[in-house]
Amino acid sequence: MSWIRESELSLLQKIAANILKAGPMPKHVAFIMDGNRRFARKKNVERQEGHMQGFNKLAETLCWCQHLNIREVTVYAFSIENFKRAKAEVDGLMELAKQKFTRLLEERDNLEKHSVCIRVLGDLTMLPLDLQQLIAKAVFETRTHNKCFLNVCFAYTSRHEITNAVREMAWGVEQGLIKSSDVSEALLSKCLYSNNSPNPDLLIRTSGEVRLSDFLLWQTSHSCLVFQSVLWPEYSFWNLCEAILQYQFNYRSIQKARDLHREEQELQQLEADRACVAEVLQHHGNGKPADAQRRQEALLHYTACREERVQDFLEALKHKRDSFFTDLASQAVAR
Amino acid sequence: MALLYGLLWRLLLVLVHLHRTLVSWLRLRLRSWKGRLWERAVAALLLPVALLGFPDHQKKLNQNRDSNPSPVTGNRAASRRSQWLSDGQALEKLPVHIGLLVAEEEPSYTDIANLVVWCMAVGISYVSVYDNYGIIRKNNSRLLEEIVRQQQDLLGVDGSKYNVEFLSNGNDKHQHHVLSCRPVVKVLSPEDGKQSIVQAAQQLCRSVENKERTFKDISVSMLDTLLRESKNIPDPELVVKFGPIDSTLGFLPWHIRLTEFISLPSHIDVSYEDMLGALQQYASCQQRLGK
Repeated sequence: MSWIRESELSLLQKIAANILKAGPMPKHVAFIMDGNRRFARKKNVERQEGHMQGFNKLAETLCWCQHLNIREVTVYAFSIENFKRAKAEVDGLMELAKQKFTRLLEERDNLEKHSVCIRVLGDLTMLPLDLQQLIAKAVFETRTHNKCFLNVCFAYTSRHEITNAVREMAWGVEQGLIKSSDVSEALLSKCLYSNNSPNPDLLIRTSGEVRLSDFLLWQTSHSCLVFQSVLWPEYSFWNLCEAILQYQFNYRSIQKARDLHREEQELQQLEADRACVAEVLQHHGNGKPADAQRRQEALLHYTACREERVQDFLEALKHKRDSFFTDLASQAVAR
Repeated sequence: MALLYGLLWRLLLVLVHLHRTLVSWLRLRLRSWKGRLWERAVAALLLPVALLGFPDHQKKLNQNRDSNPSPVTGNRAASRRSQWLSDGQALEKLPVHIGLLVAEEEPSYTDIANLVVWCMAVGISYVSVYDNYGIIRKNNSRLLEEIVRQQQDLLGVDGSKYNVEFLSNGNDKHQHHVLSCRPVVKVLSPEDGKQSIVQAAQQLCRSVENKERTFKDISVSMLDTLLRESKNIPDPELVVKFGPIDSTLGFLPWHIRLTEFISLPSHIDVSYEDMLGALQQYASCQQRLGK
């Protein structure tokens, strides 16, 4: 079944959508699509069928998001922890993924028409090589699309993502691109797999579980969390509306918390820069304390240099990541 | 047309607000009412947005009360202590580390102290208290005073078994070699969240800069060890969030990967039954850990 649905909303759904759109709408929604196996048990079908239904529901949900002007969606498709499942189930999921990504590549015209950019976040080296190549091809071929974004977390856990970001920064330090004092919250965010996306505004988890299960822990620190008891394959447009309504209810207080956090972050960066400058001035100062003007000039100069260093590092990182996908994608073609 | 939709939206939000207020009001009322009819009516009303499965818990709670009558003799504090301890033991599972997330503007130290004392009396070893303005942390000593006072009030003078080990933050890392089995309370603020992760990252990068290790050495367990001040304190299994905001507001991002989140409307005038209800909900949840 297809990734892209082109169905219209019913009249009632259209009205509901318009009412919701009168308020603040989330621009980026993350889904933990939980409940496929319980759904399969409930309907007395195979687990694999539950996962298939789950995928269909994903396609449908993307269509609703389009109608609601939600341009970016991130989904938790496969956790590194899921490798612990029975081999048969894991193999089944890998097969399903291969089918879906193959199908995705067949629909490239449709993807171009809707300008959908697919990104896959996670440690792809943990997946079978042929799946890696398919994924790389899908990512490569949609990389310039910019109307809507679908981020699929595959072989992903948040702790791995954060650790990987720290490793990338350490790589930058080893390469001499940045200093350890350049490490900051903002820089770490830019080294995550999700660095091209804004933080999710809304995180929805289905099936009644009330935990994050190692999903986007860093990015959702100030997001609206909505836990819904419906099983994922049974998710409806009205469930989505309910979640958005809850987001709107929380909007002002969460915005306030976000602004507060950003201010504190900026303050911390300023303090860190000041400390570095003080150290530099001490080295070059011959013991004489520098006057306020000199300190200010030194601070501005230091900040500018730091930002340039960081920019160069991020360019190098982007190049490294793009090459990874390009190389894999070209392997897929050569086959 | 846009104006009409705008008005309808505002109306919808007002309805949601009314619904939430009604739910909190009814929860308060239901504490004193045991009538079956009330329970069914409330269950019907609460069904759409109910967070706590409230009527079931109230029933269970009432059953507990009836089956464990407090001893007629003996002082009130002692009977409360044993009641709370048995409540904890009756639960299928109890968190070792609980987080109390206060997502409200003005923290009430008495209520927070109550919550801490209840948690410890029920058998929870580690209690973390957090608010995203960092107010509680700034008033650390005030909270400690309140906890000591509430301990005496609620658990009696002989509450020495429950003496709290109060962990302060920052550079006092040596205090964290907890040898006794006394309950531990820690006050957290946003600095303990992302900022701690950044500090750990800086430390690792510095060691790479000094050629003490290479970037390839950095692993999840290495970062985890750095972020875990004491080997003994596990990740919080449960976070109880007080207040209307549906967000973690920066609470320990690294540590909450498997944490259950249970919401209570407010920490102001929170009751022991509310807290126990949250613990009962936690006890009934199923963790599959990816499998």
